[in-house]
Amino acid sequence: MPSTPVLDEESPFATMMSQFDRAARHLGVNADEYAILRKPDREIRVAVPVRMDDGSLSVFDGYRVQHNQGLGPFIGPLCASPDLKLDELRALAAWTTWKCALMNIPFGGAAGGIVVDTQKLSESELERTVRRYAANMLGTIGPDRDVFTPEVVADMQANQMMAWMMDTVSVHVRYAETATVTGKPMGLGGTIGHEDAVAQGLKVILQLALSRFDICGEKPSIIIQGVGRVGGNLARILYDDGYIVRGISDVHGALFCETGLNIPKVLAWRAEHGSLREYPGDGKGSPNDIIRNEEMLTRPCDILAPCAVPNAITSRNASKINAKLILEGAHGPVSARADTELSERGVYVIPDILANAGSAVADYFEWVQNRQGMSWLEVVFAKRLRRFMTEAFDSVIELQDEHDVSLRMAANMLAVDRVVRADSLRGIYA
Amino acid sequence: MSGGTVVANEQSLQDELNPFLAMAKRFDIASDQLGLDHGVREVLRRPDRELSVAIPILMDDATTRVFTGYRVQHNFSRGPCKGGIRFAPDVSLDEVRALAAWMTWKCSVVGIPFGGAKGGVICDPRELSQGELERITRRYTAGIMDILGPDRDVPAPDMNTNEQTMAWIMDTYSMHVRKTTTAVVTGKPISLGGSRGRAEATGRGVMISTRDAMRKLGLNPAEARVVVQGSGNVGGIAAMLLHREGYRIISISDMYGTVLNEKGLDMPAVMAWLREHRRLEGYPDADHMPNGEQLELPCEILIPAATENQITSRNVDKIKAKLVVEGANGPTTAEASRALDDGGVMVVPDILANAGGVTVSYFEWVQDRMGYFWTEDVVNSRLEQIMATSFEDVYQMSQKRKVSMRIAAYMLAIDRVATVYRLRGVFA
Repeated sequence: MPSTPVLDEESPFATMMSQFDRAARHLGVNADEYAILRKPDREIRVAVPVRMDDGSLSVFDGYRVQHNQGLGPFIGPLCASPDLKLDELRALAAWTTWKCALMNIPFGGAAGGIVVDTQKLSESELERTVRRYAANMLGTIGPDRDVFTPEVVADMQANQMMAWMMDTVSVHVRYAETATVTGKPMGLGGTIGHEDAVAQGLKVILQLALSRFDICGEKPSIIIQGVGRVGGNLARILYDDGYIVRGISDVHGALFCETGLNIPKVLAWRAEHGSLREYPGDGKGSPNDIIRNEEMLTRPCDILAPCAVPNAITSRNASKINAKLILEGAHGPVSARADTELSERGVYVIPDILANAGSAVADYFEWVQNRQGMSWLEVVFAKRLRRFMTEAFDSVIELQDEHDVSLRMAANMLAVDRVVRADSLRGIYA
Repeated sequence: MSGGTVVANEQSLQDELNPFLAMAKRFDIASDQLGLDHGVREVLRRPDRELSVAIPILMDDATTRVFTGYRVQHNFSRGPCKGGIRFAPDVSLDEVRALAAWMTWKCSVVGIPFGGAKGGVICDPRELSQGELERITRRYTAGIMDILGPDRDVPAPDMNTNEQTMAWIMDTYSMHVRKTTTAVVTGKPISLGGSRGRAEATGRGVMISTRDAMRKLGLNPAEARVVVQGSGNVGGIAAMLLHREGYRIISISDMYGTVLNEKGLDMPAVMAWLREHRRLEGYPDADHMPNGEQLELPCEILIPAATENQITSRNVDKIKAKLVVEGANGPTTAEASRALDDGGVMVVPDILANAGGVTVSYFEWVQDRMGYFWTEDVVNSRLEQIMATSFEDVYQMSQKRKVSMRIAAYMLAIDRVATVYRLRGVFA
C-alpha cells in the first residue's frame, strides 16, 4: 500500500487533505457531507510491552488510525519506525481512503505503526513486538474490519511481519484467518503477481495514456528514475514490449543511451553488484554515458517515469524537463509548483494516486483470493489488474473532460465523489 | 430443522382472485403429482419461522408512533432465506406468509441456494419524511437483527423500498456486528456492494424464457408479434431486449394507456420517450388505445409484466397468443390457467419467467461474499446460463409428466426442497 508524500513536516494530514479539500469544493460537495472526512473515524493507541533478549522490558507505542469505512472494511499498512508520528499515519490513512475509492476497491483507508527501530531489535524481539501489537488490536483487526498490509511491497522483513500478524490473529480466533493481512508470503495465502504489480499497473496506465493523448509513434522512448521494484520491473517489462529505455538510475548515478539501453544486462549487473556503478556497457560498442541522476531527468524522451523519491521534479528543474508525458511511479515525485508549470507547458502528468495503484489492487486481489479459498492463475491476475487500472483511468478521463481540470484534480475529485456518495447513502448511524 | 414460532392467528384472505390461494392450489396439484407424503406436505405448507416486531419511531413533529413489522421465513432447508421487504399500509401477516412461500419455490426452480422469506412494515411511505423512513428502516433492522445475516436471511427491495433502504439496512447491520457486512442484503447501490446488471435482470430473464420457449414451439422470432403489458423494469427491459433479438413488438402499455404499431415499435425510441415523458401518452409513431383490450390483440407472444390477475376467466377466451410469458407475479388466475392449458397455449409461469431478479440478487450475495465484482458481461452470461438450464429442466419435467409448464415448475421446485428436507432430517 502507498505511503503518502510528506509535504510539510509539521502537519502532514492537513497538507495532504488540502488537495482533496480543493477537489471537494470543485465538485460542489455539501460541506456537511464532507466534514466527516476531515477527521479520522477512529484512532487507537496501545502500549506494546516486549521482553528483550537480555531480560529487560521495553514498552513501545503502537497506533492504528482508521480514516473512513463508508466503502468497506479498513485497509492500510503497518509501519515500524523510531520517528513515526501520529499525524503522518492520519495522512497515510486518508490517502489510502482516496486511493481505494479511485481504484474502486471496496475498502476505507487506515494506517498503523509501531514506534520502534527495527534495526536495533533481534528477529525474536521483532516477532514478540509484532505479535503483542496484533494481540492488542484484536478487537479491531479482521477481514471485514481492518486489513493490514506491509509497509514495503515484497520486502522480506515486511512479509515476515505480515505472517506473524496472520498467525497471531488466527490462533486467537481458532481458524486460519488469512484474509486479515495481505502481502503474505506465497504458500501462506500470498498472491501471485504482488511483486511487480506496481510496474504492471504503470504499464497499463502508460499504454492507455499514450493512445488517449496520441503522443508517440511505434517505439516510444522512456527514461526511468529508480531501478528497484518499481523502476527496475517497469524497465524490464517495457523493454520486453519494445520500448526504447534511454535512461535508468539509482542513488549513485544514471546510465543513458540515446538508442536504448540493454535492460536485461543492466539489471543483471545490478543484481550482481548491488549498484549501477561501473556498468561496462552492453559490449556491442554502443555508448552508455554515465551521468548524474539530475541530468538524466532533463534528457529528451517521450516519457519520463520518476519511480524513486518524492520531489524529484520541482520548480528548480521543471523548465528543463524534455518529456511529453510524466508517469509518477514514486509517491509525490512532482512538486505542486512543478506540476502547474508542466501543465502550462502542455506536459501530461499521470498522477501517482492512479499510476502506482497496482500494489493497492494486488492487496485487494489477495484478500479476495483468501476469501474465495482459491488462488488465481497469473493470467487471471494480470487480466483483472488490467481491468481495474483501465476502469479507473477511463473514469478519470471522463471526469477530466466534464470539468476541464488536470488529471490529478480529476482523480482526486473522483475519489472524493465516491466516498461522499457511499457515506451519504449509508447515512448516520445512531 | 423446522423449529419456529407462530405469533399471530391464521386469518386467511378469502378472495376468488387471491393469487396466494391460486399458488396454494398449484402447490396441491404439484404435490399430488409428486405423490408427496403428508408429513412433508405439512412442513412445506407452514412457514419455518415468523417474527413480528414493534417499531417505535420518534416522528418529525416530536410525537412517537409505533409501527408493526414482520419477517416470515418460509423454509431454510436449501440455504439462507431470501426475500423482499415491503413498506405499505395494507401489509398483512397472511400476505407476507404467502409471498415468503412463493420465494421458496422461485429460488428452488432456478436452483439457487436459498429458502424463501418475506418482510414488511405496515406504514404509508407517502406520508413519511425521508428521515422517518430511515428511522423505521433502522429500527426494523435492529428488531429482526437476530434472524438476519448473510448465512441466515438476506432481504431485498420490494414494494416501496429501494437501493437507499437497502443501504440503511446494510449500514445498521454492519454497525451492530462491528464489521462491514454487505452480503446481508441485496439490491444495494453499486458503490456499496451492489451488482452490475441487476436493474435489468428480471427483464433479461423474461427475454431468455421467451426465446427458449419459442425454440421449443418451433416458431420463428422474425414472424412473431409480441404484446407486452407494462413498460417498467420488467416489461420495458424485456421488450427492449426482445427487439434487439429480432422480435417484432407490436404493443406495449403503461398504467395510463396502450400503444400499438402492427409493423413493430421502434423500442429504443419508445424507451427514450418514456425516460423523457414518464408515460407513453403522445408517443408519435403508433396508435393509442385504452388499456382494457390490449391482452386480446392478435399476437403470437403475450407478456403480462405489470400486475396480478390480468388474465382471468372473463377474458381468457379472447386471448389469441400461442405463448404467454409471465413477467409479473400471478398475472394468470388458476381458472384462466386451466383454460389456456386446454387451448394448447404454452404458459411460462412467473416463478420461472421472472426469476432473473432473484438470480442476480444471488449473484450480488456471491460477489459480496468473495469481495470481487463481476463485469456486466459476466453477470449476464451467468444469468443466461441459469435461466436457460432452469427452463430446460422445467420443460423436460412437463414433457415427462405430461403436465403444464406451471405445474412442472412447481413439481421441480417442491421436489428439490422435499429432497433436501429428507436428506437433512428433522433436527432435534
